[in-house]
Amino acid sequence: MGVSIQGGGKGGRKSLNADLNLVPYIDLLTCMVAFLLITAVWTQLARLSAAQKGQGQAGEETPPELQLKIVVVVNQEGFNVVVGQDQTPIPKKGTEYDFERLGAELKKAKDAHPDKNDVQVASEDQVVFDTLIRTMDTALSSRFADISLVDSGAAGI
Amino acid sequence: MPIYAPKSHLYESVTLDAAKARLTHSSRKSVYEALNLVAYIDMMTMLVIFLLMSFSATGEFLFIQKNITMPDAQNWSSLERAPVIGVSKDVVTLDGVQVAAMEELSKDSATGDAKISELYEKLVVLKNNYKLLHPTDQFNGIAIIQADKGVEFKALKKVMYSAATAGYNNVNFAVNAWSKGGGAAPTE
Repeated sequence: MGVSIQGGGKGGRKSLNADLNLVPYIDLLTCMVAFLLITAVWTQLARLSAAQKGQGQAGEETPPELQLKIVVVVNQEGFNVVVGQDQTPIPKKGTEYDFERLGAELKKAKDAHPDKNDVQVASEDQVVFDTLIRTMDTALSSRFADISLVDSGAAGI
Repeated sequence: MPIYAPKSHLYESVTLDAAKARLTHSSRKSVYEALNLVAYIDMMTMLVIFLLMSFSATGEFLFIQKNITMPDAQNWSSLERAPVIGVSKDVVTLDGVQVAAMEELSKDSATGDAKISELYEKLVVLKNNYKLLHPTDQFNGIAIIQADKGVEFKALKKVMYSAATAGYNNVNFAVNAWSKGGGAAPTE
């Protein structure tokens, strides 16, 4: 096993060229490929965290009216980014939500309030799940790590 | 004395042609041919490296349900073991067992209570079981909602409300991990 050295070189000397026995190596590779193909993960599933918070939740140290709230309202017309008392409506681009502009507005809000990590996503009943996930994903991309998903009625806008 | 052109005199005494040919190495080429295995081994090595890169030793917490198309997200975290609430366009399931039909969720409740009673009861049982089995651990209240892309928030909020009233306040949404760069880093 391993190396077979052929004799019969010129002048009766043994040849220096050797053929490797590759059969065990090919066996090993074939077994590994079969095992890895069976256990391969083709679709990676993950999660997005979202808390459920209402107004004036127990345990909050600062009264809710004194806290600066950043809320993204998602409705049939588009988004409405609410930072404290300022509201920035972001209408849809045709039939599509304008996530690019939402990201820009949220980045602006983050730059203005760098200590603020929480944002509320307030949704209307008819908004589909995909839009909510993309909204939360955009908020996470804008460095808001703490996201809560609430009903638009409960957001108090 | 005649002069003859020089020639080989070896094995002249062997009369059998086949044996003579064998002895003088003038036989036909062997039917055996050595295969060049280098390309094959290269290919196998590449395949093994690719499969090893996509190998996950953590196991599967979640399985793709046939009638649920999950949304994509870039800023994802790794999954944790938790009760899985499936929300498709037809039914709501808890760990694969149906707990409500979507028709019921689409209707406005006559009593105004958005709670899905069967889901609530089963989640309470799961929470109590966890507390019994892990008396020293703190209950983290994590539930995973595996919802279809097209499900409306109206149905989703009833599921979330039921989970919250049962003590599952930390809701995680199952997504397909997707990244622009081809290798997303988890946020945690």
